[in-house]
Amino acid sequence: MEERKITEAESIEIITSMISRTKERLEKGYGDILLMWGYLTVAVTALIWVLLVTTNNPAVNWLWFLIGLIGGISSPIMAKRKRMETGAMSYTDRLTSNMWSVVGFTAIASAILCFGFLFIGGKDSWSMMFSFALIIVPMAEIMQGLVIKEKSLIAGGSVGLLIGLFTMCCISAHITLLATWFMPLFIIAFAAMMIVPGHILNSKAKRES
Amino acid sequence: MRELNPLLHSQLRLGVMSILMNVEEADFVYLKEKTESTAGNLSVQLDKLSAAGYISVKKGFVGKKTRTTARITEKGRNAFVEYVDALKQYISMQYK
Repeated sequence: MEERKITEAESIEIITSMISRTKERLEKGYGDILLMWGYLTVAVTALIWVLLVTTNNPAVNWLWFLIGLIGGISSPIMAKRKRMETGAMSYTDRLTSNMWSVVGFTAIASAILCFGFLFIGGKDSWSMMFSFALIIVPMAEIMQGLVIKEKSLIAGGSVGLLIGLFTMCCISAHITLLATWFMPLFIIAFAAMMIVPGHILNSKAKRES
Repeated sequence: MRELNPLLHSQLRLGVMSILMNVEEADFVYLKEKTESTAGNLSVQLDKLSAAGYISVKKGFVGKKTRTTARITEKGRNAFVEYVDALKQYISMQYK
């Protein structure tokens, strides 16, 4: 393109061509972030599961914080790097980024509240974090799927949400979330919510580029 | 009949404005790639759009490299909408 006068027809052509070029689904390259959260959560859950079964020491539950710590630091760095690589930020990018920030702040607030309850003897309040992980996170993922029209996010989020609702019912019914059955369920939920859609998003982005 | 805004009625400036209407912000490399323009020419046109208050240009650093990002302003958005309206009138006149 150069700096020259154009006809009305050429104007229309430029506008439509630029719109289609910017519609190259900027938001599609974010599979890596999902994969990071997915593999991190699955790895930490599997580690805690093995340690709980072999040592029977409830102190290993402190390892759950590794997810928030590693993911909370890596995620914004990866998102920023991705934005720099893409060179542009769409309105959808901003919407989804803000939505995940809200999820992150809710996670921090939930952890602080659970801590508070722990100090006044409510040790079971930590179960709420499972409901959080399996209700708020899938809800955000389904929303993102609807916004960017990505079925794998909607399907994965729905699996996670169903497991989350089941978990909430178990907590309400005072059914203990035993490591033997709950940990594999948690792993399945995160594999469906993060790992599968992450790989699908990345392969689509690769095909499109 | 409204006159087409001369600042927008130019190939590269219109291309840049069309892109910025669709994204919240875009960096220099992205704009150069999408408009298939030269760095020098793009830089001059960005300055003209910025001087008119149609876009805001921010210069920053990513590590040791400079990064220029542009986003459309409210004035630019209105000018683009008016330009498209005027364009519609011209085209409907041609088909009458």
